Amino acid sequence: RAKEKERKKERDRKRRRNVARRASSARKEGKELEDRPGREERRGRKKRDKEGKGKGGEDERQEEVKNDTVAKTLKNFSNENTRKLEQKEIEVVGEEDGDTEEKRKNGRSEKGGKREDNGRGETVEKKQKKKRVETSAEHESSEEEEDEEEKVGEEKPEVLSPEELEKLKEEVDERKKLISTLRGKPWPMRKKLLTLRESHEFVEKYEGALGKGKSRKLYAYKVMMLKKWMKFQRDFENFKTACVPWEMKIKEIESHFGSSVASYFIFLRWMYGINMILFGLTFGLVMVPEALMGRPYGSMPRKTVPRADEANAMDFAVLWDFGGYAQYSVLFYGYYNSQRAIGWLKFRMPLSYFLVGVGTVAYSYMVVIRTMARNANEDGGGDNNSFNFSWKMFTSWDYLIGNPETADNKFASITTSFKEAILEEQESRKDDNIHLTRFLRVLANFLVLCCLAGSGYLIYFVVRRSQKFALEGLESHSWWERNEVNMVMSLLGMFCPMLFDVISALENYHPRIALQWQLGRIFALFLGNLYTFIIALMDEINLKREEEEVLKLNMTIWEASLYNGTLGVNSTAPPITVHPADIPRGPCWETMVGQEFVRLIVSDTMTTYITLLIGDFLRAVLVRFLNYCWCWDLEAGFPSYSEFDVSGNVLGLIFNQGMIWMGAFYAPCLPALNVLRLHVSMYLQCWAVMCCNVPQERVFKASGSNNFYMAMLLVILFLSTLPAIYTIVTIPPSFDCGPFSGKSRMFDVIQETLESDFPAWFGKVFSYASNPGLVLPFLLLMVLAIYYLQSTSKSYKQANLELKKKLQTQNEENKKKTKMAALKAAMDLEEAQKAWSEAPRQQRNNNASQQSYTGEKNTVTGHLVSSFVFVWYLKI
Amino acid sequence: MGSRASTLLREEEIEEIKKETGFSHSQITRLYSRFTSLDKGENGTLSREDFQRIPELAINPLGDRIINAFFPEGEDQVNFRGFMRTLAHFRPIEDNEKNKDPTASEPLNSRSNKLLFAFRLYDLDRDDKISRDELLQVLRMMVGVNISDEQLGSIADRTIQEADQNGDNSISFNEFIKVLEKVDVEQKMSIRFLH
Repeated sequence: RAKEKERKKERDRKRRRNVARRASSARKEGKELEDRPGREERRGRKKRDKEGKGKGGEDERQEEVKNDTVAKTLKNFSNENTRKLEQKEIEVVGEEDGDTEEKRKNGRSEKGGKREDNGRGETVEKKQKKKRVETSAEHESSEEEEDEEEKVGEEKPEVLSPEELEKLKEEVDERKKLISTLRGKPWPMRKKLLTLRESHEFVEKYEGALGKGKSRKLYAYKVMMLKKWMKFQRDFENFKTACVPWEMKIKEIESHFGSSVASYFIFLRWMYGINMILFGLTFGLVMVPEALMGRPYGSMPRKTVPRADEANAMDFAVLWDFGGYAQYSVLFYGYYNSQRAIGWLKFRMPLSYFLVGVGTVAYSYMVVIRTMARNANEDGGGDNNSFNFSWKMFTSWDYLIGNPETADNKFASITTSFKEAILEEQESRKDDNIHLTRFLRVLANFLVLCCLAGSGYLIYFVVRRSQKFALEGLESHSWWERNEVNMVMSLLGMFCPMLFDVISALENYHPRIALQWQLGRIFALFLGNLYTFIIALMDEINLKREEEEVLKLNMTIWEASLYNGTLGVNSTAPPITVHPADIPRGPCWETMVGQEFVRLIVSDTMTTYITLLIGDFLRAVLVRFLNYCWCWDLEAGFPSYSEFDVSGNVLGLIFNQGMIWMGAFYAPCLPALNVLRLHVSMYLQCWAVMCCNVPQERVFKASGSNNFYMAMLLVILFLSTLPAIYTIVTIPPSFDCGPFSGKSRMFDVIQETLESDFPAWFGKVFSYASNPGLVLPFLLLMVLAIYYLQSTSKSYKQANLELKKKLQTQNEENKKKTKMAALKAAMDLEEAQKAWSEAPRQQRNNNASQQSYTGEKNTVTGHLVSSFVFVWYLKI
Repeated sequence: MGSRASTLLREEEIEEIKKETGFSHSQITRLYSRFTSLDKGENGTLSREDFQRIPELAINPLGDRIINAFFPEGEDQVNFRGFMRTLAHFRPIEDNEKNKDPTASEPLNSRSNKLLFAFRLYDLDRDDKISRDELLQVLRMMVGVNISDEQLGSIADRTIQEADQNGDNSISFNEFIKVLEKVDVEQKMSIRFLH
């Protein structure tokens, strides 16, 4: 009996389903009509009626056949007993159009009617006007038309599937038709010609696929190659993204710590790239040629460790200080010979050295400025859309994530991005007492200025004092007096940023702007550091040069004594050979400068790493494990975990780079060292951040390509090239070391090359071109051009901004308008309801209210109409 | 696996599925083998548990809703055709489909159908509107407990405020389309099915 019942049910469903099918097939024909409400509906229904009747019987039969096939397939799927099979059949039927199920639920009143007029399917239509994805029914109805085209692809080529072939055939036919009817088309001649040519090409290309024999094989081959090529391209894209170094690490950090922390790491990566190129330049064009082709170690005094230092030249302490063998190697300026051309390649070593020195600086300028310009473009062109939150809401999840770890990251990043967005919102809405904030900001800046001035004076004072001490001789002073400058500098560097941080709390800025202020202030403080360092270095250079003068005099005496001693014994003997280690030599101030810089970089790197390990890692470990046996909550309370200090790290990086630019001329090994340092710190800091830092309380959004960092970098670049250029231009090189020994100035190497390696006319042209009469107008022209370009770009930017603003206000206006209209309509609706509910009692009022409404806008009357209908329903 | 698929799936059926969903012959057989490999019960249909085994869906905050989208209302099994019909939403739009005449029936993978699919993920009660509560539910799924309820509420309010055009404090399908107007839905809601 149960079976019987089910059968019945099933039949019922089938019938209903057929109705639905037919209805939708009819609906399809009148689809565009149905979309328009009101007037056209009637016409559409008429049309549909006709078609429904015409197709009715035929459709039914077809549908039944189809049902059978579905059932059969199920038989094929699983050989189970009939009972189960029937159940499934029901299931399939139910699934084929989920609508029927629903219909049964919501449309009980219509149910009876549906059964009766199976053939017409008109009542169902009403029901289906509700928006619903009618997937299956719609598509099956179009089957009949496509059936005829099916038969084309009977013979399959090796690669093409039949339906692809079909499509192709269709298209080729279409094109052929187009060619034949092109003459009659009302198009301009140019378009006609263009389409004709395109169509011909298309037909030629693809007809081969439909033909036989060779052409088809060729085509199949072509298609195969195309597919392979596309796959290759896809793989290549994947490969390219996989090749971006540290991308995954940075993404992971960004998802947990927000874009501000990630911006530091992106900056670090960028810096690493720059340094790689600087390293390539110095390594490939200076260090390697000298090591391979230059005269070997021990052949000249400048390439030999002096006798006095030989005993402990290999000691670790000496090497760590970059003395001993390290000092007399390609790592430093002094090792290089002044021989004009070396090796079988006739490599112009001094010239190369000079040009690489200039080239690194020029390249750095170019890169920094170009990056800045590109970032500025991005900033200007970025479209801040009006659907910020909605996009975050609807599109943030990546549906292809299959790895739980990645999913965690994604969760974190969505949370972070929401936090950032909330913060932006809060900041943009914040408008408290403007006078108070202004006053506080002025006060804060005043305090910071006082701080900076105080520390500046302190530095100046200490440096002067130390110079005095140095003149008196260091031995007579205490440890503090000797190391006063360093101590003061590091103390200032430690406490002033904290002070600035406290002061900046007064200002109540958006954290991104606060970070910029903080950066700027610490930058000013660090400049003091730089200033003392350069002054100390200059003093040292002057001392060394005085020493050199004395030594030069001694040298001649020494030589004379040497010759005097030997000449007396044997005048015909060749000049005696003194071991190069024994020959007295000058102090070589260039190598000294290089050593200073290298030492500075190394000690700076060590300090950074050690503070990282102690300040972050040790603290984290202590907080984590002491928390079990402590009287207050260490994790939430006072010491807590440290936050990542973006400003400090960025500044550290920038100043470090400044040192590299300053010292690279005198120590070609500096870029290599820096690459090493950046590489290590990338890994170390990534690890430290993920393992022992906590995200900032106020996560804010920072762009990955931060122009503020770049601007600071540019300033540092300028400041660091100044002293380097000054020393190159004004101080004569040492007489017995380095590639420029024997010349009065380092840049003489250019002149020398011009004279000996280029034809005479070139030198003449060069000398004319460097005439101030020509250079000055040229400079003037350049300044004018820059001014012009800058002003035009400014005006463009302004226009852009204005347009954007206009667009935004327009958008908002539109939104407001529609909102207002909707609100008004809703209010009217309510009033109308009120009026009409009172209608039976107060007939007279009715007229008046109606009159007042007729004067309203179209939209409102439209809503009024709907409200009438609504009230009418209520009454019933 | 492939041989089994080809024996069980008859040509007429493949044709029908092809018509309905637009997948190619080879794609259908491939997806069928995938279907059978997912089908641990080996009864020709997939249950919710079968879908839960896919890692991408298991860890997706909206995974349950996506799985629900595969099942017609009230059912807890889906057969191969239903499976294919849902997957058809994610078929990329091919070039030659773009310039077809617009009067033909809209394919399942059209932009608006893709968007409707996404819309349905958020519209739980199927009233063709995404209400504030529905947004809050989604938000809670996406961010967990990391953000306070108050803040989540303000996010939901902000979202509605942005998207809402007719002042009914909910997002209708048309408003949803408007919001995602500039998003490349055709590309983002497509899966590269192998040929």
